[in-house]
Formats: sequence, structure tokens, C-alpha cells
Amino acid sequence: METEGDAYRRKVKTQYRELLSHCQENLDRMEGELPKPRVNLHEELTSQGISRRDFIKWTSVTTALLMLPPVFKPLVARAAEQFSRLPVVWLHFAECTGCSEALLRTSYPNVDSILLDTISLEYHETLMAAAGHQAEQNLEKALADFNGKFICVVEGALPRGLDGKYLTLGPKGKTGIALAREVTSKAAAVICIGSCASFGNVQAAKPNPTDAASIGWALKIQTVNIAGCPPNPANFVGTVLHYLLFGGLPALDSLGRPIWAYRMRIHDYCERRPHYDAAEYVEEWGDMAAAKGWCLYKMGCKGPYTYGNCGKVRFNDAVSWPIMAGHGCMGCTEPGFWDTMAPLEKPIDEKTLGGGEKTIDTLGVTLLGATLAGIGAHAGLMAVKHRDKLHIYETSHKE
Amino acid sequence: METITPKKEWSAAIRLNHWLRVICISFLIITGLYIAEPYTIEKGWTGEKMFMAEVRFWHIFFGMSIGLLFIWRFYLSFFSRFHADWQDFLAWTNWTNVKQELRFYFLLSKEPPEAKYLFDPLQSLSYLGFMVMLFGLILTGTIMMGAGYDQGLTALVYRIVKPVEIWIGGLATIRWIHHIMMWGVILFMAIHVNMAFLHDYLFKEGTVSSMISGTLFHRSHK
Ligand code: SF4
Repeated sequence: METEGDAYRRKVKTQYRELLSHCQENLDRMEGELPKPRVNLHEELTSQGISRRDFIKWTSVTTALLMLPPVFKPLVARAAEQFSRLPVVWLHFAECTGCSEALLRTSYPNVDSILLDTISLEYHETLMAAAGHQAEQNLEKALADFNGKFICVVEGALPRGLDGKYLTLGPKGKTGIALAREVTSKAAAVICIGSCASFGNVQAAKPNPTDAASIGWALKIQTVNIAGCPPNPANFVGTVLHYLLFGGLPALDSLGRPIWAYRMRIHDYCERRPHYDAAEYVEEWGDMAAAKGWCLYKMGCKGPYTYGNCGKVRFNDAVSWPIMAGHGCMGCTEPGFWDTMAPLEKPIDEKTLGGGEKTIDTLGVTLLGATLAGIGAHAGLMAVKHRDKLHIYETSHKE
Repeated sequence: METITPKKEWSAAIRLNHWLRVICISFLIITGLYIAEPYTIEKGWTGEKMFMAEVRFWHIFFGMSIGLLFIWRFYLSFFSRFHADWQDFLAWTNWTNVKQELRFYFLLSKEPPEAKYLFDPLQSLSYLGFMVMLFGLILTGTIMMGAGYDQGLTALVYRIVKPVEIWIGGLATIRWIHHIMMWGVILFMAIHVNMAFLHDYLFKEGTVSSMISGTLFHRSHK
């Protein structure tokens, strides 16, 4: 007799087999279509001191990260080898270039960052050698050569004020909006790197003088948002690998973030979570509780409101991440976090009102006090005003 | 000669619902304040304490209870067999009555507004506001409860309320609104209790006990 569990397992197996053959077909197709690899990944890895074994380990980790079963490991490796063939145009708008820096300048090159180094950048404003008209030509050439095939990666928000003139770039002085519209309309997919491109970030924080907005919002297009300030390279690499593997973009949540990476909250994965549940909190920077690694909730950790996989993937070759290092999460993967997560080192209910020292609790207690005093006085006045009536009641009671 | 006529004012369902909500709200405020500003439990081993987890459990327990009570009260206001009182929540739309009530409370007149509805105009407005706040608290509470859970009722409900979270702008704002509305409820309770006592004292009709016995004693002079 076949049990329900067996039937389920059989169903899952068939589904995975179908998915596997779909991926294989897709990779075959891509290999036919895309330009020749720029670099041999394995040579590149060896020259950077990463062994074959490390690479295999990396494929296991990445396969798990993408929520795929181990049979997909060889395919992930194959997709990684194709990584340098995918043409990429990388645009910079209103931002600090910190994402590029964080992705490209790791202290220990790991497979993720090497993959990013090998990426076939047709145009990258920070890294390219060309300048002025030459750079402009490179961009035009890339758009013509790979029309509809390249991936457009965007870093930075788009200022919309003054018809977009707060941000102009290039020899022709194009506005950011015009350039973004031109490039994204020809791209196969638009991936926003970092919270600026994804949600506007600090540029769009109050009072937002340049009326900056995210790429998706300013251009009214669907983007893949790799949120974070900066985001984890693994999330970007995983998304591109997903594109190579399946020939399409990963499933996104309602804010455009890939579900495989941004499905759960920081608080749900956090290694300090047992201390949260046990009511063990750091009360002050550097106290005994901090030494013991207790929960940072009272130091303003915003992990409970933030979706992301930082705690699982960590940064700098999985060395550490903010909460592990002893500071609370500041919620950088969420829209408008400069405004909604403030104050960054205190719990939300200690947010000050109108720039002063007052919090909602001081206001609440004051209002409550005023109300109690007011209604007490009012009750007294009412009693005086209606004393004749009260008198009647009392006499009628005596009768 | 003064006559006193007892009149049934509140059905048993309304009274039960009222007091259960009082219990829930009291526990919710206490546990909620702890969750907002917890204090550390120093003693004991981490794995055995689980104090915050338990406070959160009870907060969610009473939160779900008040959600059900709210649905029940909502149902009663439309389909109660004793008196469906949804129109009474709109008593404040009667402008002459509002004016009369303001005159009464500002000591300009001794006559209370005409008792056309179950509630006075201002009373109805504050009750409506309270109901809206309660709904807001339940909604924001449900969002925070569902976030991060994958299974069970919470996950199911979360799927329905998630768009509200996105629309309002994330869990942090939801949490902030939840906190503000708690203060609204506390202020409401202070005023509500005071007014009940004041009416009891001024009119001697048994306002306070009517929420227990269900009966109000109308006085009339003939
Ligand atoms: S440190 Fe932050 S994310 Fe971790 S358990 Fe505490 S509140 Fe949650």
C-alpha cells in the first residue's frame, strides 16, 4: 500500500526531475546564445588561491541558499562557469558607490566576489577606463549589441525634482531618469543593487529635497530589488545564477525582493534570539550582558521588523554580521528605513516627536494626567451645577 | 411624585462581551507595555526562562480573544435579537443633540440631550472611535503576530493582512501605530469610566450597575 507520504515524495521527485531537465535545456540554450566566456572561471579561481574543493563547497552552499536540493549542485556549478558570459550594464545614480565597493573589495576573495569580478561588464561607471564620449560610445555599443539580452544592474536612486536635473551625467548631460529609462527599456531584466535603487534609501528620506525615488517607482517598472545597505554579494550572485539556471527571475515578494533571500526576518534567524525569548537584554553598550552576547532589542535592534538573510549568509566570507558584531540591526533592507526605523539605537517607541526629547509615552502619560485632572474638575463642576437635583433625590429617598 | 421604571438596557451577550473585553484589554496593556520596554531577568539559565516568550504568548492569546470578541460585538450590533445597536453608534450625526450635549457638559444647560438613542452623541462618537482603534490594534497586531511564521492560522491570516503592512510601509511603522493606538485606548478607558461614574452620580439611574444587571432605572417626575 502506498501511503500519503510516499505519494507526496513521488510528486516532489517528479517535480524536481522536471525542473532539472528544464534547467539543463535552458543552460544548453544559453550556452548557444551568449557570447564566449571572457575568462575561464577555474583558472581564475586557482590563481586567486581557491581550490577545486572550495568551489565544490561553494556550490553546495549556494544550492542550499537557492532552496534547491543537492541534485542541482552540478547545474549550479555549470551556471557559475557561464557567469562571465552574461552581458551586464551597471548604472550608478544618486548613491555612495558603497555597494560596488562592498561587492568588489572583499578582504578574502571568495567565490561570490570572484564571480562578480569576472562578470562581463559592458559598462560600469566606476570601474571603466573610458571617459567622456568614449564611455558614451561603449554604452551605445553595448545597448545595440545586446539589445534585449543584457542585464541592467542599477545602483542608486533617481532624483525626480527639477525634471531630474539634480542628477545629470555623461558628456551629453543626460538626466539620470532619461538614461535609466533608455537603458532599462532595452534590458532583459533590471536588478537593483542596494536600498537606494530598490527603495530610495537616504536620498528619499525626509525631507527628500531632490524628490528621489527608487528605480521601480520612478520609472514604473518591475525590478528585482536586492535590498540592503550594502546588500550581501551572495544575494546578487544567487539571483543571477537563478536567471542563468532557469532562464527567468526568481519569485519576488511584494516589494520586489527575491523570496529565496528575503523571506524571513532577521529576528527569525538571529543567534541571539534565545536571549530575546528568555528576557535577557543588553541594557547599555559594553555591559556584562553585551559580553555574554544577549539580545540587542533594548539597544534598538530592528531585527523584528526587517526581512533579510544576513544572519544566515553573513558578510565577508561568512566571518560576521552586524548583530554578531554586537550592534543591533538597523533595518536597511526595508523601504524608508531612515525614517521608519529611527531611532537606530533605541526601541521604536522611544522615537522622538517633532525633533524634541518627547516620545509617544511622555505624550501619552501627559495626556492621561491632563484627562484625569480635567475630568475630575469637570465632575466637580457638574456636581455643583446639578446640586438641586441631587438634593431632590436625597429627600425623595428619605420619604 | 417620582416614579422609577426599571428598563432592560443591555442584553446578556453585550454585558458578557463588555466585561471580557475589559479583561482582555487590561492584560493586553500590561503585557504589551512589557514587550515594548522589557526588563532583563538576570537570574537563571537562558534555556529555562522564556519569560519574554511567555509574555508574548499571553499577549497573542488575549489579542486573538479580543479579535473574536470584536467580531462577536460587530455581529451583535447588526443582528442582536434584543437590540441591534449599529445606528446608536451614529447618534453623533444628530446635530441638535450634539449642541445640546455640549451645552450640558459646558454647564450652560441642565437638561441632558434627548435620549433618542442608546448612547449620547459624544458617547457614540467616542465608542465609534474606540471600535475603530480596536480594529486597528487587532489588524496591526495580527500583522506582527503573523510575520515570520510559516504555518497554522497565523500564517493563513498573515497572507490576508500582508498587503496592509506593505501599504503602511513595513513592520516598524505597524509597531509604532500599534503603540500609539494603545495610548488611545488607555485615554478612552479613563474617560469612559469617569463618564459612567458621573452619570451614575448625577442621574442616580444605576448607570454603573447596569453593565452588570442589564437594567437601568429611569426616573420621571409627574
Ligand atoms: S538581537 Fe535583534 S534580531 Fe536578534 S533576537 Fe534580539 S531583537 Fe531579535
